[in-house]
Amino acid sequence: MIELDGVSKYFGDEAAVDGISLTIPDGSLCVLVGTSGCGKSTTLRMINRLIEHSAGEIRIDGHQIRSFNEETLRRRIGYAIQNTGLFPHWTVARNIGVVPRLLKWEKAIVERRVEELMTLLGLDVDEFAGKYPHQLSGGQAQRVGVARALAADPGILLMDEPFGALDPITRSSLQAELLRIQSHIRKTIVFVTHDMDEALRLADHIVVMRAGRIIQQGAPADILAHPTDDFVETLVGGRDRGLKRAALTRVGDMMDPAGDDAPAAAAVTPDDSMRLAVSLMLWHGVSRLAVVDEAGQRVGTLPLSRLVDQAG
Amino acid sequence: MMRTNRVSLFLALLALLGVVGLDAVRIQPNRIVAGTGHSLLQALGPGGLIAVCLPLGLIALLALRSTRTGAGIMLALVMALLLALPWGLGAAVGAFIEPGQNAARAAIAGGTWLLGFALMLMLVDLRQRLRMRAGPTGLLWGFGLASLVMSLTSGWLDQLALIREYLGRSESFLDAVIEHLVLVGLAVGASLVIAVALALWMRRMPRVRQGTLGVLSFIQTIPSLALFGLLLAPLAWLAARYPLLSELGIQGIGLAPALLALVGYSLLPMTRNAYIALESVDDAVIESARGMGMGPLQVFFRVRLPLALPLLIEGVRITTVQAIGLAAVAALIGAGGLGTFIFQGLGQAAMNLVMLGALPIVIMAMLVDALLKGLAGALRRGDSDDRA
Repeated sequence: MIELDGVSKYFGDEAAVDGISLTIPDGSLCVLVGTSGCGKSTTLRMINRLIEHSAGEIRIDGHQIRSFNEETLRRRIGYAIQNTGLFPHWTVARNIGVVPRLLKWEKAIVERRVEELMTLLGLDVDEFAGKYPHQLSGGQAQRVGVARALAADPGILLMDEPFGALDPITRSSLQAELLRIQSHIRKTIVFVTHDMDEALRLADHIVVMRAGRIIQQGAPADILAHPTDDFVETLVGGRDRGLKRAALTRVGDMMDPAGDDAPAAAAVTPDDSMRLAVSLMLWHGVSRLAVVDEAGQRVGTLPLSRLVDQAG
Repeated sequence: MMRTNRVSLFLALLALLGVVGLDAVRIQPNRIVAGTGHSLLQALGPGGLIAVCLPLGLIALLALRSTRTGAGIMLALVMALLLALPWGLGAAVGAFIEPGQNAARAAIAGGTWLLGFALMLMLVDLRQRLRMRAGPTGLLWGFGLASLVMSLTSGWLDQLALIREYLGRSESFLDAVIEHLVLVGLAVGASLVIAVALALWMRRMPRVRQGTLGVLSFIQTIPSLALFGLLLAPLAWLAARYPLLSELGIQGIGLAPALLALVGYSLLPMTRNAYIALESVDDAVIESARGMGMGPLQVFFRVRLPLALPLLIEGVRITTVQAIGLAAVAALIGAGGLGTFIFQGLGQAAMNLVMLGALPIVIMAMLVDALLKGLAGALRRGDSDDRA
């Protein structure tokens, strides 16, 4: 568990972060979101003491972070950043193994761990272990960056706009990958982004920041449904947020399990998002969709009326 | 690739012009007299002229339509000519001077110099065009040096004035080379240590930067002769005042002022390169190194320094080549080295003695340049595929 208690950071007279309090429970994915310069990145970097906080308290599992040696603390916290920060003079394998080596793990164990992580991140060991960072695509480099952050199996993972520099398709597939991995490893993740769609997709808990303060926090659906002010409303997309909410809702939660009268031309699975369902309805010009399971067996129907009835 | 290789074409034509139009050797009845020049035709006859002009013409023809195979053949021809050059020179000298004629000497004349330089430049040009790696390049250098050494030790060239000057001072020559290298080595080593320290200081305090680089630039503008002279008085005074210093070898003349001056000149390129090298490392990489839990020393030695090394070595290369040349002037204040021969030669109007000092300096500078370039290239391989 990470707790921030009245934490501030001053650069000269200017408060970059101004008295924020925040609790991030174990195993949750908390996204700090806001426009650039709102203090989200500073907040993140105060947690592993790359920036020292000026006031307040930051605790990890009840211990103040200043009670740890700086380097010891950082070796226990995974860290991934936007431009990957991979060491250009080291191979992929050596990059991933850096923290275990700093922790003086045995060589064979480091090697095994590196292979394990490359497999987890979908990087072919034979193909990539010996490559240098400049030989990788942006998406591959970012996978290596995430693998490196996870190498010493830290309880906490800090991610500073890790997918910010990627093209939309690569970004989307890495987001899906992160969710898949997180469902296995259940780390406490603090993730910084300026992209509200990314925040809505990934977060268990969203923290909206502006000018060094937290202006709203809560579950993605809450933020969408009840933005506290105009700023948050603009951030979540204004009148576009109906579709954003649909993107967060599973078809399985909305379908009618009984109905079986929809045409099979356009089918969705229970795990698809409602946004996809609406898109299919618009495209095929139908108001009912068949819901099928992975084996293709019909499990229900999704009528347009259900969507409209449950809205608001 | 079917484009004219203008560089090699020009060089080949220039060499041809030199071979046909300029003197190949100059024969002197004794050491000081200017002597008379003789062309290649006069020295080796029509056969010799054709043996040199035919490959040169072929190189020029091949350069018109440059292909990879063509460049390979050109390289082979250039190498063959370079290897044959000292032997041909020996033969040319032998045509005019009987082995017994002790006073007579032969000097290398304009045409041969021009041929030699044109061939060297073509070698450099072709090596770049063929994108040769360090290994084969080293092999070429090795062949060249071996051929030179063989021709020198065979006695074939003994009538050459340059060799005569050498034979007259073979022991002091070796001493001079060693003195020269020691002087340069000490100066470069000392300035490297000081420069890295200065660069680290400059990184910590930006205000120091302007001042330091300003002072170093100023030192660089003092003419070398003047700096050697300026150091004479204060060091002599120090030595006179503190006998301990003079026992340590610190005097107005000799090694101490020479070393001081050389370090002074070396500091600007070295410090500037060290600073730029350390600064050039990507901030994101340093940030992530810290974020991984590396301590300040680990960040420096495992990340910053290795990434800065290629640029740092580049600084050492520039500085060393410069110091090898500057160290010649140090002979004026009694620091020894190859400059001694240059100034002796100038004093006696014996140009071949000047050459005896100057040629090894040029060769040393070229060797160091090639060696350090190769080293920087090899280190860069880690983060770049470009192995040109």
